[in-house]
Amino acid sequence: MSTNPSTASSAFSRRGFLGFAAAAASVPLLAACGGGSASQGGGGAAGTIKFWDMPWATPAYNDAAKKIAEGFSGANSKASYQLIQWNNFYQTFSSAIASKTGPAVSTGGGFQAFQFEQQGQIAYADKVFEALKKNGQFDDFLPGVVEPFKTDKGYVAVPWQLDIRPLWYRKSLFEKAGVEVPKDWATLLEAGKKLKSAGAVGFATGSGAGNNIGNHLMIMMMLNNGGGVFSKEGQLDVMNDRNVEAVEFMLELVSNGIIDPAAVSYTTDNLNAQWKDGKAAYGMLTLGVPERVGDTSGDIVVASPIAGPHGDKAALIFPNNIMMYTNTPSQEASEAFVVYYLGQLKELWKQKLMNALPVFKSITEMPEFTSDPNNVKIVKEYVPIAKTFASQGTALSADLAALDGGQALNQFTQTILTGKTDAKSALQAFESGLKSILKK
Amino acid sequence: MSSTTAPSGLARARKGLAPGGPGGGSPNPGNQNRKSRLSAQTSRTFFWLLLPSVILLVLIHGYPLFQAGIQATHNGNLIQTGDFVGIENFQGVLASPAFWKAAQFTLLFTIVGVFGSWAVGLGLALLLRTKIPAGGTFKVLLLLPWVVPIVVSSTAWNWLVATPDSLIPSLFRNLGLGTPLFLADPTLAATTVMIFKVWVSFPFMMMMISAALASVDNTVYEAASMDGATRWQQFSQITLPLIARSTYISWILMTIFCVNDFPTIYLLTGGGPVDATTSLVVLAYRTVFQDFATGPGVAIAFLMTMTLVVISVLLYRQIRKSSVE
Repeated sequence: MSTNPSTASSAFSRRGFLGFAAAAASVPLLAACGGGSASQGGGGAAGTIKFWDMPWATPAYNDAAKKIAEGFSGANSKASYQLIQWNNFYQTFSSAIASKTGPAVSTGGGFQAFQFEQQGQIAYADKVFEALKKNGQFDDFLPGVVEPFKTDKGYVAVPWQLDIRPLWYRKSLFEKAGVEVPKDWATLLEAGKKLKSAGAVGFATGSGAGNNIGNHLMIMMMLNNGGGVFSKEGQLDVMNDRNVEAVEFMLELVSNGIIDPAAVSYTTDNLNAQWKDGKAAYGMLTLGVPERVGDTSGDIVVASPIAGPHGDKAALIFPNNIMMYTNTPSQEASEAFVVYYLGQLKELWKQKLMNALPVFKSITEMPEFTSDPNNVKIVKEYVPIAKTFASQGTALSADLAALDGGQALNQFTQTILTGKTDAKSALQAFESGLKSILKK
Repeated sequence: MSSTTAPSGLARARKGLAPGGPGGGSPNPGNQNRKSRLSAQTSRTFFWLLLPSVILLVLIHGYPLFQAGIQATHNGNLIQTGDFVGIENFQGVLASPAFWKAAQFTLLFTIVGVFGSWAVGLGLALLLRTKIPAGGTFKVLLLLPWVVPIVVSSTAWNWLVATPDSLIPSLFRNLGLGTPLFLADPTLAATTVMIFKVWVSFPFMMMMISAALASVDNTVYEAASMDGATRWQQFSQITLPLIARSTYISWILMTIFCVNDFPTIYLLTGGGPVDATTSLVVLAYRTVFQDFATGPGVAIAFLMTMTLVVISVLLYRQIRKSSVE
């Protein structure tokens, strides 16, 4: 019987148990310093460019991207394709790069190239741009998409698609409430109140587990009021008057119940469900909302950008990019691959596989792209006013990665969405959080 | 209670000894010497048999621990070690209000997780010990929260409570109790996460206690009844002491599970709202992978590990104490 002390003692020794306990207790340590894995040598086997890509859209996108990548044959090299999941992607890239088993070329997080550039792992893309100028593709870039990647040492990456945050609305809910689609903040407030009375959510957002739409909304509203987290010189400028005004407006939307009081906990699924179930009337989201929430009836459409109280208009944009790494079997082959891949991008939009805007004008003019009026409206009305996280400045940097995914912005957003704060206190806490991150 | 006199009644029962069963008598000195020699031989054999595993374990755990030690004392990132900063990361972490807020939540989460799941597990284990129809089926069904992947159960819980139109808030509303925002209100979110943890963990406790109860001879209770012990006396003076070792072991394991629990919290609330459900392990993760501050994040993990080892040692002493008693 196990309750006999002597038997139990020999079967269950102190050292043995402590060893087990210590091993189990060390799990957080092991987890904290653990790394991902990679199956091939760094950059790829001799003559093979290892290309890592992310799940940017449905699996059909990755199948098509794989086909394109594996179709490469240039500079005496070929290419292999590997899909990397977003979950812990930075850890996956970091540990692979640290162990010299990382890719030669990859897509990835919007500011990832700047992070790895700081660590000396990025191969500059100047020669890629030279090649693009020679083949004429450089002139096809939409205005302003290349400059953000320029640093003192060279271009850290090459843009390949634009992730933008337009405003969407559900026509039937506005008709039911008898209100016009907002043109500015004042009409947004008025429409929101009427929509709420009609049982709809006037400004849908979410900031729950894994959902960064709420974070992006906060920054977008600052930009929409001519503000931003950084000054034109790239210094932290959180407490400027325009930001305070924008946050005060957001708090007004919260206190009036125009923003759902439970939005602070909404995951992406919760938010999508709100749109699908006909509860959300208006809000900022990504591209392709009708397809994303499963309602392609034409009731969910892109709204025009709204103007802030001073007449400013802005949209938030993330220029996603392809980067090259120093650890490659051949830098010449890496460059040749990127030039080749950019030349093939139109296939992805032709097959309607992308959930993002193209960086090339020619693709925005393709019938497969223009057949969606929402796409046309976004290119026409949002792209010209689009600003990045770096606003009011323009230069992207590694710091923006800590801003985008960091705790400071998320905590700030959640504080606003709970409504239990005032604008200045929330911004001060945000600034303090950002300072502590950026100095690390 | 004396160990030199033959125990009787409740005293025998507390030791789990059946009436008339073995329990007294002194050991034979000759046998003891032979046992001692055998024990030394056995120990040597065990040592050589275990050595390869021990070396493997030291390598598997030692290398990451060594690396973690380097990262915690440097200001680098996941690729570059950076400069040596001594205990600066630990000082920074300990001076951070976020750390203490997370520590406070971790403590509460652990206390509720351990004792809540133990109380529910104990109650169900006692219930399943009685003869109820389809007891085996119930046992299997009760294991489901433990067996189902956390990703699935957290999604299910999210759909149950996340929005005002979810099932549970709707139920509250229909009962005239308002519309509680279970994941949006900081206090309710913390409570929901803890209840979720208890729900996920009680089957483990139930199994541990069921196993301990299964080894208790029913005649012990018969003897206690004959001595006039009430139900409560039987529970508090027989059942609880007899399952004490299993209880302490399950507490230690559940403490480790709770302190290290990442998915339960992260998948349900992500640590929010406004850090209301951020535990130390979530904070460590976010510090390393969202703020990209590797040194401070690993320092948090180190502090957690040290705390867990101390708690484990203290609880182990309690096990020893219960053995002696």
